[in-house]
Amino acid sequence: MILALILLLAVLLLVAGFEMFLVLGLPALAYKEAFYGRLPDAAVVQKIVGGIDHSTLLAIPFFIFAANLMGSGQIARQLVGVVTALVGHSRGGIGHVVVGGSMAFGAVSGSAPATVAAMGRMVYPEMRKAGYSEKFSLGLLVSSAETALLIPPSITLIVYGWITGTSISQLFAAGLGVGLVLGVAFAIFVEIQARRDNVSHSDRLPWGARLRAIWNAKWALGMPVIILGGIYSGVITPTEAAAVSVVYAILVETLVFRSLNWGALVKITEDSAINTSIIFVLLAMGGLISFFVTLAQVPTAILGLLDSADAGRIAFLIAVNICFFIAGMFIDPNSTLLVLVPPLYPVAQSFGIDPVHFGMLVTFNVCLGMITPPFGLDIFVASSTLGKPVADIIRGVWPFVLVNVIVLLLITYIPQISLFVPRLIYG
Amino acid sequence: MKFLTLLRTIERSLLVALFLAMVVLYTGSVVTREIGGTFASRFAWVEEAVRMMNLFLVFLALGLALERGKHVGITNLRERLPAGAIRAVCKLIDLCGLFFGLYLAWLAFSLVQFVLKSGQASPTLGVPMGYIYLAPVVGFLLLALRYGLSLFGIIDRFNAQEQAE
Amino acid sequence: QEYVAKIGHLESPAQSRNVTLEKVAELVKERTDGEVEFQIFPQGQLGNQRQMNEGVQLGTIEGTVAPAAFLGGFNPAVSIMDIPYLLPEDDAKAQELRDGPFGQALLDTFSDKGMFAVTLWPNGKKQFTSNKPLDTLADFADQKFRVMDSSILIEQFNALGASAIALPFGELYTSLQTGVVDGEENPLDTIMNMKFYEVQEYLVVSDHGAMEDVVLFNPMWWDSLPAEYQEVITTAFHEVIPELTAHKAAAVEEALETIEAAGTNVRVAGEEERAALREATFGPASEAYVAKAGDTGKALLSTYEEAYEALH
Ligand code: NA
Ligand code: NA
Repeated sequence: MILALILLLAVLLLVAGFEMFLVLGLPALAYKEAFYGRLPDAAVVQKIVGGIDHSTLLAIPFFIFAANLMGSGQIARQLVGVVTALVGHSRGGIGHVVVGGSMAFGAVSGSAPATVAAMGRMVYPEMRKAGYSEKFSLGLLVSSAETALLIPPSITLIVYGWITGTSISQLFAAGLGVGLVLGVAFAIFVEIQARRDNVSHSDRLPWGARLRAIWNAKWALGMPVIILGGIYSGVITPTEAAAVSVVYAILVETLVFRSLNWGALVKITEDSAINTSIIFVLLAMGGLISFFVTLAQVPTAILGLLDSADAGRIAFLIAVNICFFIAGMFIDPNSTLLVLVPPLYPVAQSFGIDPVHFGMLVTFNVCLGMITPPFGLDIFVASSTLGKPVADIIRGVWPFVLVNVIVLLLITYIPQISLFVPRLIYG
Repeated sequence: MKFLTLLRTIERSLLVALFLAMVVLYTGSVVTREIGGTFASRFAWVEEAVRMMNLFLVFLALGLALERGKHVGITNLRERLPAGAIRAVCKLIDLCGLFFGLYLAWLAFSLVQFVLKSGQASPTLGVPMGYIYLAPVVGFLLLALRYGLSLFGIIDRFNAQEQAE
Repeated sequence: QEYVAKIGHLESPAQSRNVTLEKVAELVKERTDGEVEFQIFPQGQLGNQRQMNEGVQLGTIEGTVAPAAFLGGFNPAVSIMDIPYLLPEDDAKAQELRDGPFGQALLDTFSDKGMFAVTLWPNGKKQFTSNKPLDTLADFADQKFRVMDSSILIEQFNALGASAIALPFGELYTSLQTGVVDGEENPLDTIMNMKFYEVQEYLVVSDHGAMEDVVLFNPMWWDSLPAEYQEVITTAFHEVIPELTAHKAAAVEEALETIEAAGTNVRVAGEEERAALREATFGPASEAYVAKAGDTGKALLSTYEEAYEALH
């Protein structure tokens, strides 16, 4: 009863347009008073800070900063120019660039929010210019970033591997396969939408012109070279790559392009700090909520329900999807895994579900949670970095949620999609 | 308001200094690792320092973000209400936000005292850990201040976004 | 039930610490007629170790089983456990040390830190792994090792001429894979669980670092218990130690087999090599310890030396 009132309170705050951190924070405070009155009040602040005191989250502020620098200066424009010269003649054009770019960026950053921030600043204006609708452009940006958690390296897969003792190499191989499948699904959607929106596309350029475009963008191309090269050659970690890309962007924009002066740098730094704050305050409230979900042992209760219903394998998989879908609405990805995987994994094993397959399922569900309204971290990142209202982004995201659900069903019921690449590599 | 202008200058300067320092430190630690040897070991504290600085960055920017209408929320349903009702809802939000900010700042302050008394220090730098909870103290106070100013009509945070862009 | 304790820790459900904790929970429940219940939250569900330690002080949670290596910020004296080769090789002798004046003195250092320390739990020993050969002590020079946040462990690597690099645990697998760092140190079952052997070519079984757990409770909660229940809990934590050691030994055995089968080059360091390693690292690490833990540390170190001498 009290719980229902608290949930009602959350819905009311949401509809009334309270800041999202209040929508999460106020009901959490009410819940604490109602159910954990004896818990010291200061614990609330401890959990709020705990929600963001992770080293692995540091990639987000740095990549937001780098993206704002590139977007305000020349680097982003030149990078898009190169890709347009190479694939601008295809019908989907810039739409495919978003998918491919997010996969490449996700491959290195391992962070979906960072991917949204970085890609958004670079390609959103170009998508609109090419004729894609606002709705579709926003939806595509937010959803493509999901691939960051699937395509290796991925902290999410490492966390899963640690909890369940599954081989991380195999998970990475499987994540690559599933990430590609998702990318292809988005590319097909882009192709269809490009026809519908009648998106403009340029003429096919001769190779001479293409090479010239690449040469002209040599300084801008240094950015992906440094990030990708630096990580895969073992010089830097993904988080460090984020910081290094900030330094590179500042140096190139000031020394080579002369498009950045001290005043502009200060303004961009300040804006990036504010963007960071907007996202992290939500993660902070998520830290508080996931603490209460853990204490209440919600997943165990759900499993109890399943057990009493004498559910089979199919019902279990559906229940897994629903659990993650709901949890993903409120809680950040890594906490979701920590709370849900330990109770669910043994059940998955008892149904004979392959650990790698289950890992893909779980990770895909976590991805989906980041783009499903009303609480989807990636939605908020896009809202904050592009300055678009959350409601507009949500409208754009729905069709992609549908695409995701279709892919999710395929992954759930055809284990071969997840296991194909690992078997190819490891036999 | 002279005080507000001064406060904003301080907030902005701190944010910029913190963020740039984080970038320099993190990049610097890559360089020291490339140099290698026991020299690299001397910079093992950078990771911890940058993580703490990020906490302060996040909380220090809360108030400015609110003042500029940047915090995310789903406002399109509210906007369909009649003008009088919108005003009332906005005041209610300001009021709740004010209390939320003050309450959490107060809780955070008690945590600062508790942790300082317990003597906890950060593992590599040896900084008293109570100080990290100063970040939410200051941050939630700055947030509460902006809610309060908006409640009494001194700043207009609901239309700030349109003005800015 | 009258008394409920939420107990958090970092390991996964199948690991020795969790299995033994479940066992303790069972014993305590049985012997207090269900009046005392332990709710166990594995895998850092209640936060990272720093947050759990703080939570125990604050009363957010009632207990935690914390590796000594994560307690240095709360109680510098406990960092004595970071000194390489502190405990004798022989399990029985090591337990004698824990049960004797040294162990008690160590537990006592928690009393003014807002935590009640019930006992020490052995949780295995650390080994070195790397992608570069570790055939001799000289091979450590100029290799990059990931190190936990601890000035003493940093000195341990410095003493070998290696770089100590601070990296988050979550980023370690990828960093070993790409070569950001060459190696790391962890107990064998962690090396297996985190799959580090998938991305490491060499492993030296050196048993150089004790992974001691400290069982900690919130003092207010502890004091609220009737004396007989306190007795029941303390006894339960002590009597399972042989079981814990056996479970750990089996896990380590299995880990070693898995790691060897995966093609990682495993080498067991001989007595001479271990002595040389101790010789090289013990001094500098102890100095770093005393610099950090001050007079309390100095006193504890001499208590240790006396107790250690008495064993031989
Ligand atoms: Na990735
Ligand atoms: Na969601």
